Amino acid sequence: MSKNQSWILKHPWSVRSFHYLLVLSFIPLAITGVVLFFKPFDQLTMNLYMRIHVVTGVILTLDAVAYFIIGFTRVIAFVKRSFSFSANDIKWFSILGGYPQKFLLRKKVAVPPMGKYNSGQKLFGICVLIGGTILIATGWGLWGFPHILPHSMAALFGTLHLVFGWLLILFLLVHIFLGIYMFDDFKAMFLHGKIPCEEAKEMAPLWVEREVVKIER
Amino acid sequence: MKDERYQYEESPSYVSRREFITISGIVIAILALPAVWIRSAVVKRNNYIRARINGLYRDDTGSKVRVSHGNSGVAKLYKDFAGHPLSEVSEELFHTQSYINRTRI
Repeated sequence: MSKNQSWILKHPWSVRSFHYLLVLSFIPLAITGVVLFFKPFDQLTMNLYMRIHVVTGVILTLDAVAYFIIGFTRVIAFVKRSFSFSANDIKWFSILGGYPQKFLLRKKVAVPPMGKYNSGQKLFGICVLIGGTILIATGWGLWGFPHILPHSMAALFGTLHLVFGWLLILFLLVHIFLGIYMFDDFKAMFLHGKIPCEEAKEMAPLWVEREVVKIER
Repeated sequence: MKDERYQYEESPSYVSRREFITISGIVIAILALPAVWIRSAVVKRNNYIRARINGLYRDDTGSKVRVSHGNSGVAKLYKDFAGHPLSEVSEELFHTQSYINRTRI
């Protein structure tokens, strides 16, 4: 690491702490959710898994609600970035960001310039925003208020919880793989929050050009 | 005071005031609309349950037999077959065999 390297603060402390709690709650939720779906153990063990699922679900809810309130401006910026589309997104999806060529053919192809999030991350962001909200709402309905919900609504909640649960679990596997693959971004999210300017210019040139500013000290 | 270990950060003006208000309104409306829908569905279901309870009470008022132990069919079942409530036969046939306490969830 060069001492003259310039750095951009990509993930401030509020985002990192939200992400830590998200990791600590969603991974146990995903594991216990899969176990609850397949029911491989006896009733008492399944009951224990259900209790872990509920406790981690409450932690996830508190984390999401706290971030929604405390980091509301960041939530709005995230929504804007996730729902901003251009012709570059179609080009990006047509080559899948160049990842299959890189992993399977060891070939580097030209990728259209991206903002802070590439098109795949935007799709993931939309799924997390919508799916996460539905999972939290339906989870609370099924656990806390099943006696209040009409039967048809409880059944709908169960189906939505199942569908979005699987969707986010499958997305999570891709997210973990690519998150570790982009090791500078991984370190930024889990350690110090900053990434090298050169890396950012290569991976997210539109973000650097349009959104990043030099700090006046 | 800014951290000296980085030289750049995101511009705070990335989202304009107009965009902020618009997106906030859309987000809050999307969160609020299902809540209104759920509430109206629950109220509708509760009205149905209340009407059904009232109907059952009305039917009950006009019934000759209004308690289970006054049901001659049940009394005959115990007299001719099961003996008495909580007898071995009634325990085996009418009661659940295993129980898991799920109240702590």
